[in-house]
Amino acid sequence: MFATGPSATVLGVEGRSVTVEVHVSSGLPGFTVVGLPDASVREARDRVRAALLSSKLPWPLRRVTVNLAPSGIRKVGSGLDLAIAVGLMVASGEVEPAAVNGVGFIGELGLDGSVRPVAGTVPLVDALASEVAVVPAPSAHEARLVGRHRVRPVGHLVEVFGALKGEAPWPDPPEPPAPPSPPPPPDLADVRGQPAARRALEVAAAGGHHLLLSGPPGGGKTMLATRLAGLLPPLAPEMAALATRVHSAAGVALPPGGMVVDPPFRAPHHSSTMVALVGGGTATMRPGELSLATGGVLFLDELGEFSPSVLDALRQPLEDGIVRVARARASVDLPARFLLVAATNPCPCGWAGEPARCRCSEASRHRYRRRLSGPLLDRFDLRVEVARPAVGDLLGGEGGEPSAAVAARVAAARARARQRGVEHNSAIPAADLVALAPLDASAVRVLEASLQQGRLTARGMGRVRRVALTLADLEGHEGALTAEHVALALGLRAEPVLQDAAA
Amino acid sequence: MNPPAGASPSSLPPVAWLTALAGLPGMGPRRLLAIHLLHEPAVAWHRIVAGEGDRLDGLAGRRGRVTDDVARAWRRAAAVVDVSALWAAHARAGVHVARLGEGGYPSALAHDLEPPAVVFRLGPLAMLEGPRVAVVGTRRCSRLGAELAQRLGRELSEAGVHVVSGLALGIDAAAHRGALGAGASAAGPIGVVASGLDVAYPARNRRLWDAVVEQGALLSESPLGQRPDAWRFPARNRIIAALAEAVVVVESGDRGGSMYTVDEALARDRAVLAVPGPVGPAVAEGTNRLLVEGATPVRDAVDVLCALGRPVPARTRSGHATGPPALDARGRAIVAALDHGPRTLDDLVDHTGLTLGAVALAVEVLVAEGWLARRGAHLERAAGPEVGRP
Repeated sequence: MFATGPSATVLGVEGRSVTVEVHVSSGLPGFTVVGLPDASVREARDRVRAALLSSKLPWPLRRVTVNLAPSGIRKVGSGLDLAIAVGLMVASGEVEPAAVNGVGFIGELGLDGSVRPVAGTVPLVDALASEVAVVPAPSAHEARLVGRHRVRPVGHLVEVFGALKGEAPWPDPPEPPAPPSPPPPPDLADVRGQPAARRALEVAAAGGHHLLLSGPPGGGKTMLATRLAGLLPPLAPEMAALATRVHSAAGVALPPGGMVVDPPFRAPHHSSTMVALVGGGTATMRPGELSLATGGVLFLDELGEFSPSVLDALRQPLEDGIVRVARARASVDLPARFLLVAATNPCPCGWAGEPARCRCSEASRHRYRRRLSGPLLDRFDLRVEVARPAVGDLLGGEGGEPSAAVAARVAAARARARQRGVEHNSAIPAADLVALAPLDASAVRVLEASLQQGRLTARGMGRVRRVALTLADLEGHEGALTAEHVALALGLRAEPVLQDAAA
Repeated sequence: MNPPAGASPSSLPPVAWLTALAGLPGMGPRRLLAIHLLHEPAVAWHRIVAGEGDRLDGLAGRRGRVTDDVARAWRRAAAVVDVSALWAAHARAGVHVARLGEGGYPSALAHDLEPPAVVFRLGPLAMLEGPRVAVVGTRRCSRLGAELAQRLGRELSEAGVHVVSGLALGIDAAAHRGALGAGASAAGPIGVVASGLDVAYPARNRRLWDAVVEQGALLSESPLGQRPDAWRFPARNRIIAALAEAVVVVESGDRGGSMYTVDEALARDRAVLAVPGPVGPAVAEGTNRLLVEGATPVRDAVDVLCALGRPVPARTRSGHATGPPALDARGRAIVAALDHGPRTLDDLVDHTGLTLGAVALAVEVLVAEGWLARRGAHLERAAGPEVGRP
């Protein structure tokens, strides 16, 4: 007796379709799983047996072989349990083969027969070729996001067989109450003073320019960075789908509406390992923080404290928008299209900006500089100093402009970028800069002076030009960029770490 | 004297033993001087090797008394020193070694309060003749301070004055850079260092050391290979004060090496001059205090030359005569906002009431003209446009 049923397994952020084949024959009673199962799949045998017995269903005392096809790819996770149990019942004649035609199964079984959710419902269901998807009840709203299947939420194995045998209708559990909506993101109105840092946040949000905030402790670097996500427009449909898939694959809770529509804000701690950031730590190649920030903001606080290998690993995703993770068993491409915001002290004590106030040794400053300098630093189009605000600003005075007003300008600037055929200005190819970001005569003079001082390289010049264009977009300025745009773009691109005046 | 290569221990001159003694841990200038004055260096060395360092005459004074511990440390260190090899290394490196009272010893130091028992030198002895002025200051200087030290170094050298300094980072290095920039015909710089002449410290000043040896002279009281122990820096500062006719402090906090140099200079009745700085920032706290206490204020090399009673070359003062090109109102406001130390763009927006864009543009222009300099994300005053110079 033989039966097949569709299911899926996940690798990275992609689901892979898997056909579960069950063969029941005479012979010594036994149960074998073949087809590159990993440990969690092999354990399915014990879970399935207990679940069937708990549900008062017969366990065939015959020779059972389960094959997971295609046998070439590795199957991971307990999401195949339900498909194996159903296949077993079909193959042993308990359920009519016709009843499972066009029905795919995803779910882990408990020993009592309950059906439990697994991580990655969105990519798993997406990989199901069947018309009907039977999924654990808590995952139903995730499964519906895919939109191609009739979703059958189930809570227990008894319900599944009742429905398959035609003895009862498919259960229709009430939607679980929506989790409380998260608190609104912090508002920019809370930030007092600091015009340069404010403007840099706005420019970063509008132009997709990576931002480095440096300054002494207590200046409000973190406060500023956490307000960036609130300035970004909601995700476009394809980006939202990608972000949702990543969150699902990583087992991160989805927002109340189901889809990830608000730009994510991820802030991994500086002790995070390379694998936690890049992904690929588990057999399913779980996506890391870089991927979870897709479409949103990746915030690295205390950039200088991250291990150098982690900082190196940022370079490819910043360039290509993906991380290619290769492990012994598999290699996957994970999405990683984020806006990078980092905060750092200019030196270990944070006071390097003021001569004679900094108490760091020459050697420790040098070490700090070396870690922060070089190729990574070059990727930041915006580098601003966040000084401690004046006491008067903190206590008195009105708050700044609220996030909503800034977000409106950001949306308008992004609309102008889209008319140029790019998502945002930092994506403008170097070759198109001359046409898209023309300079007036005074702007050319400012750039020339900067090149002569050796502050700017050819690549740096392109970046300054893109930032200047974003500044113009935010003002609604038409025509060639002026000297003021270029000067401000240069002003927002300071060296974050002190080079010695006389060394 | 100039050591010959490949001497055997028995034929080594006394100064070779003194060289080895100078490299012992904790062998400060007083102890070495006592040994030099009271003992035959070779004998002293052998007694130290035997562990009798604490029983040498003249080392029993209340300050710097040699205890058992020190004697043991000397013995351990001396056991691994090959004196003839050390001596040969000095010969190979072309280092002139002279002990107090011998030919080749700098005459300026011979009658000092606390003369070094032995002086190691690269560069001609004649370089130590003629007027000498020390230009010293903090390692963590402002841009303005560094530029001023550099200008002082150059103008003093052009006026025939040797610039003495310690080759540290910051003001010291800037002063020597200026002196080197004055060209080969000007008076060469004199570097006085705490480590051995082959141990460039800080390492990134290596090229500056080489240039000073090339155009001037480099002195130390530490033998080759000697690491710069912390106590060797104040000892070095006393030699700077002893060599110079006057000490000019460009920027210094209220405490630190430069203030030690000043104390040593006052003990030797040398003139102390200081460059006034803004009130408030820590870089000028020390110099401003010196001025209050009666030091001579210095704006440029002319002030130094006047204080020394030396003729002032006509050209040197031209910078003052012509005056810098005028700033517009916006530029003046920004430059004035930087009077009390470096500021960020945000601060400048606060001070001037201009928009961020207007400040950014004005700053670009001022930096290009040389009025301002960048220090990380901060902006600070610079010396201004180059004027009155060929």
